[in-house]
Amino acid sequence: MRSRNGDRPFIRSICTTIIVSSLSFLNAQEYLISYRYVAKNALSYNESFHVSHAMTQCGSQSYEPLILENTDNNNLKATLLKNFDLFFDYAKKLGLHVRHEEHTLNHQSSAFTTLTLKTTCFKVEFNDSFVIIQALK
Amino acid sequence: MKHSLLLAALLTASTIYAQEGETATTTLVPTPSHIVIECKSQECVQQAQETLKSNAKASEEEVLAPNKEVRISVVGQGVAPMNTISPAQAYALAKRAAVADAYRLIAEKVKGVRVDGQDLIQNMMVKRSSIRTSVDAMIRDANIVETIFKEGLCEVEMEIVLSYAQFVQQ
Repeated sequence: MRSRNGDRPFIRSICTTIIVSSLSFLNAQEYLISYRYVAKNALSYNESFHVSHAMTQCGSQSYEPLILENTDNNNLKATLLKNFDLFFDYAKKLGLHVRHEEHTLNHQSSAFTTLTLKTTCFKVEFNDSFVIIQALK
Repeated sequence: MKHSLLLAALLTASTIYAQEGETATTTLVPTPSHIVIECKSQECVQQAQETLKSNAKASEEEVLAPNKEVRISVVGQGVAPMNTISPAQAYALAKRAAVADAYRLIAEKVKGVRVDGQDLIQNMMVKRSSIRTSVDAMIRDANIVETIFKEGLCEVEMEIVLSYAQFVQQ
């Protein structure tokens, strides 16, 4: 049955758009990601990278997205480790915390430098071939 | 003989007097610190003035002003560990250490360094000397300009652009 104004295909396209967009929004998951790197006397000493599902909802404002290739069957940590340089460049824009301590005892010095990405919430959307990651404020 | 001795004494006295006359003391104050340079000729005075002027220009610190950006550039260094399984791993680890070092240098330049020193002196001798330096900062939007890896040492040139608006209190 046609509608009174005969605008059936237009209404259908609007409904489809709304349903698809709401499904894609529901498909997006929220993850907490943290990174810590320690260098001792200019040598790599320790590196830790943690990824976990967020148990509470994060904020709604988001930064620009980072798009990576989805090669690891929706495994975020594996994807990020595979494209770590890209993710690190993205993290640099968010801001990294640096702490450096140097101790000189009787003219012999030792230094520790710690680089930290504080635990940040990311909205992650898995598509067939891409992973879209957006940091949330 | 007497005359020659007298002549020699006169000549010596005149040269000493001439040297004293040429000596000029110049005092220039390009910076808050006081610098005194003693010169014996006019050329030396000019050279000293030029040197001080160039030093003053070099030591002028860039000040953040509205509508002006300050670009800070540093070179961080990192060393590859000895027990790596491949050159690629050595490069990756050295680069990461160099990036951390570059971040530290930027933080030191922008925020400053905290220095704590302690000396223990016993029987007029230094028994223990300890210096602790630390820096703590959050850095955003630092960019890697160039990476050089040579003989196990990685050098990363990193820069950051600071603008006045970033420091204005909201």
